[in-house]
Amino acid sequence: MDTNDQYGGRRRIPGRARLVMAACAAALTLTAGLATPLDPAPRQAAAADDGKKVLTVAVAQSVDSLSPFLAVRLLSTSIHRLTYEYLTNYDPEDNRVIPGLATEWKSSPDKLTWTYTIRSDSRWSDGEQATAEDAAWTFNTMMTDEGAATANGSFVANFEKVTAPSPTELVIRLKKPQATMTALDVPIVPRHVWEKVGDYSKFNNDKEFPVVGNGPFVLTGYKADSYVRLKANKDFWRGAPKFDELVFRYYKDQDAAVSALRKGEVSFVAGSPSLTPAQAASLRTEKNIRVNDAPGRRFYALATNPGARAKNGERMGDGHPSLLDRRVRHALFMAVDRKTIIDKVFQGHAVEGAGYIPPRFSQYFWKPSAEQELAYDPAGAARLLDRAGYRKNGDGERVGEDGKPLTYRILCHATDPNDKAIGQYLQEWWGDLGIGVTLDCLDNVTDPWLAGEYDLAFDGWSVNPDPDFVLSIHTCAALPATPKDTGATDNFICDEKYDELYARQLAEYDPEKRAGIVKQLQSRLYDLGYMNVMAYPNAVEAYRTDQIESITTMPAKAGNIYGQDGYWSWWSAVPADSGDTGGGPSSTGVVAGIVGGAVVLAGLGAFVAMRRRATAEDRE
Amino acid sequence: MTTENTGVRKTAGDDTAAAGKPPSVRPRALAWQRRRASAARFWRTYRTHRAGVFGLAVLTLFALPALAAPLLTGSDAADVTDAPGAPLESPSAEFPFGTDRFGRNLLALVIRGARVSLLVGLLAAVLSVAIGTLIGVTAGHFRGWYATVMMRITDWFLVMPTLVLAIALATVMSRSLLTVVVAIGVTTWPTTARLVRAQTLAVETRPYIERARALGGGHWHVMTRHVLPNVMPLVLAQTTLIISSAILAEATLAFLGLGDPTVVSWGGLLQDAREAGAVSAGHWGYLVPPGIAIAVVALAFTLCGRTVESVLNPRLGVSR
Amino acid sequence: MTADAASAPVEGTGAAGPAKDGPAARGPRVRTATAYPRYVAGKVAGAAVSLLAVLVTGFFLFRLIPGDPVKFMTGGRQVSAEQLAAYRREFGLDLPLWRQFTDYCGKALTGDLGTSYQFSAPVIDKITEALPNTLLLTGTAFVLYTALGILLGTRAAWRHGRLGDRLGTGLALTLYSLPSFWLGLLLIITLSVGIGPLPGLFPTGGMESGGEEGLAYVLDVAHHLVLPVVTLVAVEYGQTLLVTRSALLDEMGSDYLTTARAKGLRDDLVRRRHAVPNALLPTVTLIFINLGRTVAGVILVETVFSWPGLGGLFYQALSVPDLPLVQGLFLVFAAAVILMNTLADLLYPLFDPRVGR
Repeated sequence: MDTNDQYGGRRRIPGRARLVMAACAAALTLTAGLATPLDPAPRQAAAADDGKKVLTVAVAQSVDSLSPFLAVRLLSTSIHRLTYEYLTNYDPEDNRVIPGLATEWKSSPDKLTWTYTIRSDSRWSDGEQATAEDAAWTFNTMMTDEGAATANGSFVANFEKVTAPSPTELVIRLKKPQATMTALDVPIVPRHVWEKVGDYSKFNNDKEFPVVGNGPFVLTGYKADSYVRLKANKDFWRGAPKFDELVFRYYKDQDAAVSALRKGEVSFVAGSPSLTPAQAASLRTEKNIRVNDAPGRRFYALATNPGARAKNGERMGDGHPSLLDRRVRHALFMAVDRKTIIDKVFQGHAVEGAGYIPPRFSQYFWKPSAEQELAYDPAGAARLLDRAGYRKNGDGERVGEDGKPLTYRILCHATDPNDKAIGQYLQEWWGDLGIGVTLDCLDNVTDPWLAGEYDLAFDGWSVNPDPDFVLSIHTCAALPATPKDTGATDNFICDEKYDELYARQLAEYDPEKRAGIVKQLQSRLYDLGYMNVMAYPNAVEAYRTDQIESITTMPAKAGNIYGQDGYWSWWSAVPADSGDTGGGPSSTGVVAGIVGGAVVLAGLGAFVAMRRRATAEDRE
Repeated sequence: MTTENTGVRKTAGDDTAAAGKPPSVRPRALAWQRRRASAARFWRTYRTHRAGVFGLAVLTLFALPALAAPLLTGSDAADVTDAPGAPLESPSAEFPFGTDRFGRNLLALVIRGARVSLLVGLLAAVLSVAIGTLIGVTAGHFRGWYATVMMRITDWFLVMPTLVLAIALATVMSRSLLTVVVAIGVTTWPTTARLVRAQTLAVETRPYIERARALGGGHWHVMTRHVLPNVMPLVLAQTTLIISSAILAEATLAFLGLGDPTVVSWGGLLQDAREAGAVSAGHWGYLVPPGIAIAVVALAFTLCGRTVESVLNPRLGVSR
Repeated sequence: MTADAASAPVEGTGAAGPAKDGPAARGPRVRTATAYPRYVAGKVAGAAVSLLAVLVTGFFLFRLIPGDPVKFMTGGRQVSAEQLAAYRREFGLDLPLWRQFTDYCGKALTGDLGTSYQFSAPVIDKITEALPNTLLLTGTAFVLYTALGILLGTRAAWRHGRLGDRLGTGLALTLYSLPSFWLGLLLIITLSVGIGPLPGLFPTGGMESGGEEGLAYVLDVAHHLVLPVVTLVAVEYGQTLLVTRSALLDEMGSDYLTTARAKGLRDDLVRRRHAVPNALLPTVTLIFINLGRTVAGVILVETVFSWPGLGGLFYQALSVPDLPLVQGLFLVFAAAVILMNTLADLLYPLFDPRVGR
């Protein structure tokens, strides 16, 4: 290894360079000084220095856009809920539709014209009156401008015409009847501000603050991947929020967020993604922290490839043919011990799966009857497989008529720990049945998913108060037109009977009757065995009771706080009286200050000593 | 130190002389004999480096249980359905590090994880060094446009941000151990290539190469018989150093969620710990042992690698 | 090192032998006054070629990532087939690959890196937003670990073989072997949350509390900066230390030092005046290369500490895949390394005594 002589002859660095080095050292000491916490105290999350009551929420998601026309992430749409009124809202008690910007609404006898009365006591934060004209303009913009349709275009897809005959009257004319007209989750924006925007596909609404709105909070500041700041709207028609400010702070790492809560840096940790069982258990033991273990709005299912097809009848993907046998699908699900999944994987923070729609939406919740239910029964599953013609061979593997052993690929989300954990259980449970399992864990499952290249897949959707969308993704109409296209379908289910029921519920304007049809739909889906709901995971979140005295959950009895359909939680939150956790933070500040000061002094001392010694030697 | 230096230098000289000697009676046997002798000399010098011996001892300490893992750990670490404990138990007499999110014995998992982590580290390093040596030797031997192109490619890989490139590669390929090995191997070879090429150039200027050529030795003969044995010590040192960073890289990729979730490795355990929220819940047994294991093994490999380097090139005088 | 674990071999070797692979090994020996400008031109042209190569790689490499960005972004929402088509049109994904490539290159050359899919904002804007944060973090850490590495490396070489050297070098090597993300997590639980009687001293993550102004803002950011910087410094300083140490040891055996000593100069003065400045040469090249790598290697630390920088952005972009953003960031990361390597190449001859300026 001839490394010598690479640098050739040698010359000393001139005095100037030495000076530079000294300057560097000085800069280093300075930086060290700067970097040490001379800051009096870590900011209290609930009470700022000037007595303002601030509510800080730790979120794990960053903002995609602050424009209501573009935003799709939960955090961004939640912020829009807080800053803009929607036509209707949902009762925090039971998810029923209640007035928002519209005070009342009625449909014409032909079911095609909807008339909304717009309230006259809602003002934009710049003083202007919010009118039906604003609403009409918002919908019309979404109908005519492709960029403005980016996020919520599907809401207006069936609209024929939207007009505002008077400032308090909004008329929407439909192409065909649509039961979801009281669930138009579209932020209504002020026309006089938004008219001036040039390109809706590029405008992110994040340059000028405060942003004009009429919700319970006004957006006052935003820094990408850091925070979103909101100020209470004192003139909000439903009444002013109790906190003066609301801050959403971004934590990439949930452990950091939980630590921040424990320390009092934040008042609330969002349950999206849910806190883990370990985090919840350890936070439960803390004084002043309440863990809210709320029934979730998600279902968590095992989807089965039904022999994917496009609308034109062409086959897609390579789903295992044995799965076309309903007995096999049922047998597979009967070998899934849902109780163990709840106990071990979710550690009690979930509810055992039944129908498609989670129990939280009591109107629509459905449960299989005793004889219909596919209860956990591995022996029964084995018998069912035997009957279907898949018997165990000498090696204990189940083989079909073609003599090949059964092996299934399960598509799993690499980012979801539950997928990976349950996948390992499935490997062992189905292994006992004699069925092989390969876990395909991917960051982005969309490619094989859309191509139908899977046998089974972990699936889950968040359900809205209006279930139309999650039902629509299993209709034949949602299939891709040709194998090259992508459809809205979830996993290629196409069933005539299901489609018929789906069409009936969409045209049914009577809530009770519609709920009845929705339950029949779920029963049909259950029997098909293509969507096997394993669990409804809870939304586990936590907050500091010494900073938040009370906060509304939704549904009110047992519900979630972050990600509600409405602004109830943050609007209703009451600051705790003390607002201060006691001596902790300030003494922390003192200690930190002393430590920091000591470091700086030591650094300076060492530096000076070195310089002095150096000069002394040079003089010699 | 000076006396030692000369001693080893002489050794190196002997070695090259051996390789360059014209074939005598039983050339192969003679060569092997000389190689054995030089290996013994190498070991004698290596032994005097305390850090290197320490590193070697630590590696043995970790390798033995890893090799014996199937005997030491039973189904309590393999199966999630037969997990002996409750999820996330605290350390106890039965489970010295507590249990993982399935209730498996964490101590057993750390022992099993050693197999995968060490295997990935070794394979990735071997792959990386193999690519580097191949390109280095050929680029050093052939010169001309081939060398120019190869060195251009090497330079270009050198400026690629390695972690970014490895992440991208791991994202592009499916989740498996092989992916991790390839992602690490493919991104880390350029240094080896440069070092090996420099050494090859130096070796090829020596007179015995010319002699070999004059005697009709072809490219293949020169490269495998004369160049390769001379770059081998460098390659050895380089491999040891790269294993250390490959183990860290494996942990990094697993931590970023790019590892194979069905295989237990140290990095995977750390990722599991984080996903289970063990960090903020204070489950130290989940977080600390795998991290320490990674650090200790990486350190041990670094110490060995540095010792090998300094034995072979005592001018560096690094680790004594 | 662990901040950029995969790059460690490069640095590892650097640590073991004085930058065998440093630019000096590549750079020609510049002998005449006119040669330097030509040398500079060559290096700059080489850098430009590398940058172009990176541009091309970035484009094709990331097209291989499985996943349809449109479907990923519309996943879980009500979207019509027309909307999907509109998305594809807007993203330019309906065009054939070669058209996408020429469009991309044409725009990139004029400084337009496209529009991020998920943020609907120009990639340039997203990058310029995050870049200062990353530079603040890496810059501070860089200054500290370089200074610390040189300082301790010099001391270790002076006390070569003694207990202090052994302990110092051992500690440096140990820290250098730690996974940086793991160290970061440990620091969060201990110094940030507080453990036992020790109260939480530092924020758990992020760059600011939000809403501060003036001096309070500076202090707030500095406060948030401490733990990520400590993590980076801990895992990175060892390398500089080792290179400085071995370069100095290398130097201390040199003839000219013997001469200097023979002239009757005191040992200490000889080292300080002659050995140290020369030994710093390989360190200088290493420093530049490190700086470029640190920018790309900071991904892990940014993730653990929720730092709003390029690393976090890259990770978010990769999962979609938000192609324009991924490509743009890849370009920035590679450009940082290329820029620093070139700077090292350009500066080295200036320190090199054989330059006849």
